[in-house]
Amino acid sequence: MLEAREVSKIYQMGGGVVAALDRVSLSIKEGEFVALQGTSGSGKSTLLNLFGGLDSPTHGDVMFDGRSLAPLSKKEMARYRRASVGMIFQNFNLIQTMTAEENVSLALAFGGWRGRERTRRARELLMRVGLGERAMHRPAELSGGEQQRVAIARALANRPRVLLADEPTGNLDSTRAGELLSLLREMVTRDDLTILMVTHDDQLAARFSDRTIHMKDGRIEGMRDEG
Amino acid sequence: MSFFDILGLALRNLREAKLRAALTTMGVVIGVAVIVTMTSFGLGLQRNTVERFKNLDLFNEVQVFGRDLNTVLESQLDRKPEPASEGGENKEPKKPGNKRQAKSSERPLTDAALGEIAALPGVAYVEPTVRFSVYARANDRVRQELIGGVRVPNGASRFQHFAAGQMLGAKETDAAIVDESFISEHGFKQAADAIGQRIEFLAPPDEVGSLSNASRRNEGGAEQRASGKAEKEAGISSSPTRRADDTAAESDNTTAALGEATAETETDEPLTFFGLPLEDSGESSRAGGSGLVARTFRIVGVLKNEVEKGSGGNRRFRGMMPAANIYIPLRAANEWKATHRGMMEQVALQLARRSGLIDTEETEGYQAATVRVSDPAAMKNVVERLRESGFNVFGLFTELDEIRTFFLIVNATLGLLGGISLLVASFGIANTMIMSILERTREIGIMMAVGAEDREIKLIFFVEAAVIGLMGGIVGALAAWSIDKLSNRLAYQFILAPRGEPFIDFFSLPPYLWLGAILFAMAVAVAAALYPAARAARIDPVKALRHD
Repeated sequence: MLEAREVSKIYQMGGGVVAALDRVSLSIKEGEFVALQGTSGSGKSTLLNLFGGLDSPTHGDVMFDGRSLAPLSKKEMARYRRASVGMIFQNFNLIQTMTAEENVSLALAFGGWRGRERTRRARELLMRVGLGERAMHRPAELSGGEQQRVAIARALANRPRVLLADEPTGNLDSTRAGELLSLLREMVTRDDLTILMVTHDDQLAARFSDRTIHMKDGRIEGMRDEG
Repeated sequence: MSFFDILGLALRNLREAKLRAALTTMGVVIGVAVIVTMTSFGLGLQRNTVERFKNLDLFNEVQVFGRDLNTVLESQLDRKPEPASEGGENKEPKKPGNKRQAKSSERPLTDAALGEIAALPGVAYVEPTVRFSVYARANDRVRQELIGGVRVPNGASRFQHFAAGQMLGAKETDAAIVDESFISEHGFKQAADAIGQRIEFLAPPDEVGSLSNASRRNEGGAEQRASGKAEKEAGISSSPTRRADDTAAESDNTTAALGEATAETETDEPLTFFGLPLEDSGESSRAGGSGLVARTFRIVGVLKNEVEKGSGGNRRFRGMMPAANIYIPLRAANEWKATHRGMMEQVALQLARRSGLIDTEETEGYQAATVRVSDPAAMKNVVERLRESGFNVFGLFTELDEIRTFFLIVNATLGLLGGISLLVASFGIANTMIMSILERTREIGIMMAVGAEDREIKLIFFVEAAVIGLMGGIVGALAAWSIDKLSNRLAYQFILAPRGEPFIDFFSLPPYLWLGAILFAMAVAVAAALYPAARAARIDPVKALRHD
């Protein structure tokens, strides 16, 4: 489903050069729940952004469903982000001035959903993440766990086959974190969703993921099947 | 993403920063208000100016000149004694004829030619110029008067303002209208006193009797007699039916020169007037002059003499047709001219016929005619067609073009000044947009992450700017409209009304002006958003979404 071939990402920082990723190769199968672990600055978020189509590698190839993302135009890249992958973040990245439903609707609008269909689908998505009652609340009126659920509903709006999660439980207490990952796990099992999740929580990674990948200094240090 | 979604996002963004949006819009409001107010003032000035001339029939009438018999004859007569110089005919200097020749057309202005002109597209009306001088007696006073023939009904603006009575009726053959100077010269106390009074046209004793009162009773008979008389005088024979066409206007001392010369005649007219020495002994003059009465007319209307304000009391110049003191029906005027040809004219006609210049059957034609177009815009075309047909034309058509060009420059300058204020407003728009982008960097990043294309991000900002331009444009146009109304009101109340002058609309606010200004404001606003929109689309989503 997702594949990285000899991927490097090099940043020019002041006078020197920093390699956020150094010839990383990685493959994730469809329906797999993979946890990406590592210290801060190990390159895990950079890798996630490459898969999410928000960034492009300096060298190497990022593949989705067997096709390279390199030849895609800016416009095609936007479509890829819209329909192929969904992303959630540690700080939720919801639009504060919009209600939960409007946040989900925005993603649906970019995906071409119109009018009543769109409203119906937004409600449905919020229901699926257990927020049917809170649709009309703004992010500030929701708890961290609830906000992240809105973000998940938004990420899944245009039916992507891959969910990329960047520290989704970083701002949550352990109970809420557990609940959230249970939800993700259920989606993988039930909807055949593929998840690549960046986390630094060993326990959670071990409990919910199929496989854990450890990164350090822009390289993959090791892999462990959690099965 | 549909346009309405984008519009919704744009409106939401504006709502999020109401004060800022309102202040930015204010800049556009002022810009548009200035543009529209200034341009509408320029257009109003133009309209009022052109309208003024138009009301005087100066822009919708031209004078067409016929072939001047005298000019042609002079060149013929010059040639005959010295046939040797025939080859150099064109180089021959003709001093006395030069001015006339400039006016004279190649073609005679016959009734057939008039019909041809009337059929030209855009021509509303053709009226031959028939002018002559007579000694006219009314109220026991004899004065030399300038007579003009008029076609009835007549749409010329000079026949719209009567001090008393009305215009000639279509069926009246012995009716006349006079102007106000006639009233004072003939000693009437007021215009209304002259209505119904008689005017007697005097003629030499040997010409009297042919027309006098016979014409009043029997139009046809009068015509025949008139023609018979004319033929007898001219010593030629032509069929009586053709005779009516034949009664062409020939030059006499008063109406010889047309155009500018006519204008002179008109302004000089009250000065050049001279009474007969008999003036003071009215009774004896009546007795002595009664044998001279050739024809009598009844006054049905008195034209108001319009005096131009602030031009030394000059009479207002209306239309291209030479003015007269007494207007009679065209047919009556033609009859008179045929019966009472001046000696010079008789000789000219004889010479022309004998030299074969014109057929005995042919007529020398009218000297000039006034052509009125239905729309001044059609004037250029009509003049061109007239010239193609071989007629010389005089009119103010080039002046109209010049006035238009002048106002185009004035309006462009006024619009440009307004445009500067809108330019200033455009910087405000750009500033607001950039501020808004800085505030919404994360939001833009989020939109990119959920799949917004560059185009869509840009469009949100363009629509936002367009909404500012539209709102500012509408409010600005309304403001300009209010300013126009208020200025008119104030000008009337404090300037016009105290002087007893009527209300004048100084502004012209056609739909294209305010619609154009609104569209222009939108265009300027969108142009101002070009850079901010491009900048928004360049935002790096990774940086925008980074944990705070």
